[in-house]
Amino acid sequence: MKGRYDDENLKWIPVLILAIFLFPFILKGATSSYKYYLYVLNIAGIYMILTIGLDLLSGFTGLMSLGHAAFLAIGAYSSAILVDQVGIPFELSIFISPVIAGLFGLVIGFPALRIEGMYLGLTTMGFGFIVKRLIIALREWTGGSAGMPVSKATIFGFTINNDWDNYFMIYSFVIISVIIARRIVISKLGRAFMAIRDSEQAAQASGINLAKYKMLSFFISGLFAGFAGVLFAHTSHFISTDHFDILLSIYFIVMVLIGGAGSIYGAVLGTLFIVLMENLFIPLFKDGLAKYIHLEAGDFQAFIFGFIMLLFIIFQPLGLYGMWLKIRIYWKLFPFNPRRRST
Amino acid sequence: MSNLSIQNLHIHFSGVVALDEVSFDIKEGEIFSLIGPNGSGKSTLFNCINGFCSPQRGSIKYNNVDLLARRPHEIVKHGISRTFQNLQNVPFMTLLDNILLGAHHRLTMRDTFTRWISRKERGREEALALEVMDFLGIANFEKKYLSGQPYGIQKLVEIARALICKPKLILMDEPAAGMNDQETLEIGKIISEIRDILNITVLVVEHDMNLVMNISDRICVLDSGRILAMGEPEEVKNHPKVIKVFLGDEVHA
Amino acid sequence: MKRYVSIIIMAALAWIRCENRVTSPGVTDTEILIGNIQDLSGPIKELGFLIPSGTNMYLDYINAQGGVHGRQIKMLIEDHGYNPQKAVVAAKKLIEKDQVFALYNVIGTSTTEAIRPILEESGVPLVAPATMSGTMSDLSRKAGHLIFHTDAGYDVQSNVLVDYILEQNANAKIGVVYQDDDYGANVLKGIAEAEERHGITIQREAYQRGATDFVGQTGNLMKGGITDVIIGGIVREPVTIMKTSQAMKYSPHFFGHAPTVDARVGLLAGDAGEGFTSCYFAYLPDSDKSGPALYRELCEKNNVPEKMRGIYHYYGFATAHILVEGLRRAEEYPTREGLINGLETLNNWESGTYPPITFNKNDHAGVEKIMLLQIQGGKQVAITGWLE
Ligand SMILES: Nc1ncnc2c1ncn2[C@@H]1O[C@H](COP(=O)(O)OP(=O)(O)OP(=O)(O)O)[C@@H](O)[C@H]1O
Ligand SMILES: [Mg+2]
Repeated sequence: MKGRYDDENLKWIPVLILAIFLFPFILKGATSSYKYYLYVLNIAGIYMILTIGLDLLSGFTGLMSLGHAAFLAIGAYSSAILVDQVGIPFELSIFISPVIAGLFGLVIGFPALRIEGMYLGLTTMGFGFIVKRLIIALREWTGGSAGMPVSKATIFGFTINNDWDNYFMIYSFVIISVIIARRIVISKLGRAFMAIRDSEQAAQASGINLAKYKMLSFFISGLFAGFAGVLFAHTSHFISTDHFDILLSIYFIVMVLIGGAGSIYGAVLGTLFIVLMENLFIPLFKDGLAKYIHLEAGDFQAFIFGFIMLLFIIFQPLGLYGMWLKIRIYWKLFPFNPRRRST
Repeated sequence: MSNLSIQNLHIHFSGVVALDEVSFDIKEGEIFSLIGPNGSGKSTLFNCINGFCSPQRGSIKYNNVDLLARRPHEIVKHGISRTFQNLQNVPFMTLLDNILLGAHHRLTMRDTFTRWISRKERGREEALALEVMDFLGIANFEKKYLSGQPYGIQKLVEIARALICKPKLILMDEPAAGMNDQETLEIGKIISEIRDILNITVLVVEHDMNLVMNISDRICVLDSGRILAMGEPEEVKNHPKVIKVFLGDEVHA
Repeated sequence: MKRYVSIIIMAALAWIRCENRVTSPGVTDTEILIGNIQDLSGPIKELGFLIPSGTNMYLDYINAQGGVHGRQIKMLIEDHGYNPQKAVVAAKKLIEKDQVFALYNVIGTSTTEAIRPILEESGVPLVAPATMSGTMSDLSRKAGHLIFHTDAGYDVQSNVLVDYILEQNANAKIGVVYQDDDYGANVLKGIAEAEERHGITIQREAYQRGATDFVGQTGNLMKGGITDVIIGGIVREPVTIMKTSQAMKYSPHFFGHAPTVDARVGLLAGDAGEGFTSCYFAYLPDSDKSGPALYRELCEKNNVPEKMRGIYHYYGFATAHILVEGLRRAEEYPTREGLINGLETLNNWESGTYPPITFNKNDHAGVEKIMLLQIQGGKQVAITGWLE
């Protein structure tokens, strides 16, 4: 019996996965600076894992977080300390470190039981600042604000050496993360999260313990972010508190919103879009546009992102994924599309 | 044997008395209707049973279980489910998932894990929902997203969600509100069938007098939080106070 | 037939020679590409604008004279916004996409630390990182052999300051106010060394980055009977501490590390700042040495606005001398190895902008000398020569 759930077309999935793993080879053939593009894609991949988790929290459960950079930091620092100082193997650290980040998620989940919306945003933002200070204070382990070098990842004796290796490791984990997140979403858990987002009353009347599931959502989101942090630490080989600032947390929110909050593929698309925009496309247009608009480099990026956000909120609130769904429906119905009448 | 027993319930919200000395019993297998003008405290009574409001005085017992000591999400475990006056569902989830939401406490974590791995468990879950959907006549809609479906369907989805957990008692807050005559008739039929076929006790709040008179075994009339009259439909219909209140209401409207 | 064969052989030889000639990325017959990573959008974006413009002024001057070995030097600037992760992205872009020959002047400590793994992996040298952290010239660290540090480290500065203070007054009681981060850690490293050498103890007072209130620290110093205070701050810290002390009627001698050499300290502190002694590791732009003279001449020629001139603009100008000299000493067809070897031949080399510079295999700290400058009558005056 074909699952009535799977409204998506599953036969494309293996093709997509194959394409993901063939892509570096194509890129290598196409350009000599492929390593740089791979590196940019690797950042996107790491952030995808985090935004998938953030989407589960914000998009699905409706709980705002402006502190996700802090979870990333916790995952990264935990793994760096566990692997390089305690001597735990990397294969184990990818399980332990996310759990540590998840437990911090539980801690920040407590206030979420009482407060909502913007206030929760502010609380999580405060959490971000606290974590940053904490990392600086634990100088002996973390190297303070000077940052710390991190070793390379080794999986079963195989050292992940460069951006090429990183790509395959990171995207394998991205695929696993997408699968797990999709499973969460289509199960009892996902239904509970969405019910909490849209109607707490219906959720409670259906037997959902709000406190438990909100905490669980924070925990799971922390797991994903912590896991992204582990990959971040062991692929960039250097971590420092300057990276995990509030701006990064806001970027994550933007990624989820542009991709389409409440859709796993949306989070993935949104992240890819923003990271490529930031590193490849904006630099391309910057010099040209700078002739007409007088803005400084940093402001310029903020300006473009703000503008894109605005366009999405006005014209495409369902985000990139919503856009894709519309296109798909259009082609499914083609050529019998209902004609738009101008009135 | 009495089933749901409400004793001397009193609740007020910062001065506004919503319910005052309300007591009644509902017997098993009964269709019990609650009527009254707007703001008379009907939904508040539901919210008290459901744990959303904590009354200042009184008790609510169901099969000798003190419901007031339970948290809202525990009520359904005692066999009481409900629908809402204003639609309370998840627009960007399929009909099937919206209905399965109601089965939350029936699915264990183990079911969830097996479902992640095998398709068999999925089939079982779906079968659960399809059974209810068949009963309500909304099969074939299961893959559709709820958002954008007609109001009537959305109302039925709420009922389906309340039924899928196999309750003993169902609370329905204005199931026919916003429906046309045809749909109202169908709702009446469904309510009767819920009692007759599924053997579920029904406590229903409704404004449509025809519907109430046709299906109810007993009716309770609330006005400004007090019980005005209670009894069989004929009895209530001819009660002078009731006539006065309802005529007044009509003049008002 | 013979002719064809000989042509082909000639062509092949020419091709092989061509192949032999251009060996390094970023080097063509007419151009050498250098990468610079600055803060163009973060907390110190004024510096990100001033420093490279100083560099470009000198590079333009060199290019106008025909460049180095006939090649024009071109500098690409990327932004990191004082974010290590962005510094990594920028370094990857410069090295792998733009294929620069070398990196130069990356600003910030954590940002430079962050790109060490990339330097190590790609073998790209980094000349004159714009940070005074002594960790830069630590050869035991990753990519240490690729980094040529031209600033005297904070630890060196601490040592020299303590020496100077004790020389003036053998019974001085010294206190240090440090920032509670990597900057402060490097300051304290030097302080600890000095304590050991002289067998004294120095009172330590910490502050958080961005702090605006120093009443507690000043009070503690006063209670401790401190006669000489070393301030490991930037601009706001020395100004606030000196003003606070003035209000508390506490008047020790104040000293500061190189970041406090900023002219704004004197301007903002007013009469409280009179006598404040800071240190610096290059000639000041208004001194009469050959480097500063050229600097002023080029500023006039290029109509550099008055408000841009100053130590930061000059810093870019001064460090560019070392980059250019390194490129000169690399072979005619430069390789990265050649640049490294060339720089390591610098032995007490006079640039005119810096004290004599020395690099060799075992020492990548180019400058370990500083000069003390005192605010007298609102103006900075050099009160010593080069101290070690
Ligand atoms: N949470 C609350 N806080 C304050 N006042 C409330 C609350 N809930 C209900 N009330 C008040 O209690 C009274 C009864 O409201 P209730 O919703 O129970 O009426 P109702 O009989 O369901 O009316 P309707 O027919 O319009 O649904 C109203 O005056 C309402 O304003
Ligand atoms: Mg109501």
